Amino acid sequence: MFKKSMLTIMVLIFVLVSFSMTFASEGPEGNDRKGKYTYRKVYKACAETGGVESATPTISPADKTMGQWKEIFENKNLDEFGCKDNWAALPAEDILDIYSYFYKHASDSPTPAKCK
Amino acid sequence: MKTNKVKILILALIAGLVLLTGCTPTQTVKTAETAKEDTSWMFHDLVDAKFVKAHMSVPMPENVWLIDARPYKGKYAKGHLPGAISISFSDFDKNLDLLPKDKNALLIYYCEGPKCKLSHKSAQKAEKLGYTNVKVYDKGYPEWVTLKGNYGSVSAEHVADLIAENKTVIIDSRPKKTKFDKGHIPTAISLPFSEFDALQGKLPRDLNTPVLFYCEGLKCKLSHKSAAKALEMGYTNVTVFDKGYPEWKKVYGASSDTMQVKTGKVEGSIDIERFKTILASNPESVMIIDVRDADEFAKGTFKTAVNIPVENLEPKIKDLPADKPVIFVCSTGARSGEAYYMTREVRESLKDVFYVEAEIDFKKDGSFEIKAPK
Repeated sequence: MFKKSMLTIMVLIFVLVSFSMTFASEGPEGNDRKGKYTYRKVYKACAETGGVESATPTISPADKTMGQWKEIFENKNLDEFGCKDNWAALPAEDILDIYSYFYKHASDSPTPAKCK
Repeated sequence: MKTNKVKILILALIAGLVLLTGCTPTQTVKTAETAKEDTSWMFHDLVDAKFVKAHMSVPMPENVWLIDARPYKGKYAKGHLPGAISISFSDFDKNLDLLPKDKNALLIYYCEGPKCKLSHKSAQKAEKLGYTNVKVYDKGYPEWVTLKGNYGSVSAEHVADLIAENKTVIIDSRPKKTKFDKGHIPTAISLPFSEFDALQGKLPRDLNTPVLFYCEGLKCKLSHKSAAKALEMGYTNVTVFDKGYPEWKKVYGASSDTMQVKTGKVEGSIDIERFKTILASNPESVMIIDVRDADEFAKGTFKTAVNIPVENLEPKIKDLPADKPVIFVCSTGARSGEAYYMTREVRESLKDVFYVEAEIDFKKDGSFEIKAPK
């Protein structure tokens, strides 16, 4: 009985650890380098049409955590970025790249974005 | 009471007069002292700008040596008389081999104006070595650049700084198809001297914009002729990179020595080990562009790297050389990656473009550490 309980606990621990590890490594699989370029390009285009004052984006990946970016991008809740029309015109692949850029360089990521 | 006040006033006036007259003799003494200033340090054979100009040509005559005695980095590199070589006084003894074998050759030394002793001291040393025809142009570079029709020459390192500053229009005066299209200094525009009049509209509208001309080296007259035309047009800040494209290739890379670049694991990246090999054996074979900010670049970079901050890159992409691989670098791969994708989009035809996907720690002593991503 004791052996069975121990085995069950061990299996549970293994499943939990595996799950948490899988969850931790979860994230968008886009191209974060390309995403950075595309993100800046969106703002440049937006500024050229008067959508925003500055062509340099004001929101940085380090402004939020990975979880927060995940929620924003997976729910497509991109209002705070402004430039609605420019975002709407982006192909899904480009949005995934931008999401990857924000997720991989979030404040709690191993490589948070610096000012640049 | 009134009498007392008048007395005080008179005394004050007298005191003022005494003070005034007292000052005058002192000034006279000082002027006399200045006149008697020690000039024993000065070389005995001084010449003026007219003499210097009369002995200059492109290329310089074989028996005439124009020598800049100022420090290389801070002075010569930023501006010197066209055709002048650099032998700073502090390195005189180390550079004896740069002087001509012919002891009768004309050596004209100059430095930073009448109060600068470097040219005089160098001339004295040259004479002691047996040179018989040594002169000093004592008014030196400060006067030279202010005289009508004159301009200064700069070194390759300074051209790289100008590219980074993004304020100077760099102009290639060589023929377009046979020279410019086969390789040119990054960001340069083509304005062949033969088409100068027809294409002068390519020059900046603002006559105060700095313009720099270059062509095919010390024997090439095209950049000098173009500079003369620009001065005639009223441009106020004209310089020439007289050693031209051959020197640029020597310092920042020769297209004929291109090494094959191996791609890395990530799209657009260069294989880190291959990059290290290139840096160690043949850095000139590639064009390394450091896309960090100028202040970061100034603290340390790769020896052959040119600085174009990523914010300033886009308008310059059209001018990047196509004759050798272009490799973008920064400190993490973020900005260089951005530069890579920007280049791929703006100039799709440029195939040999890469970036370094790694952390690079540039150190003050010029060394660096490249850490590949795990």
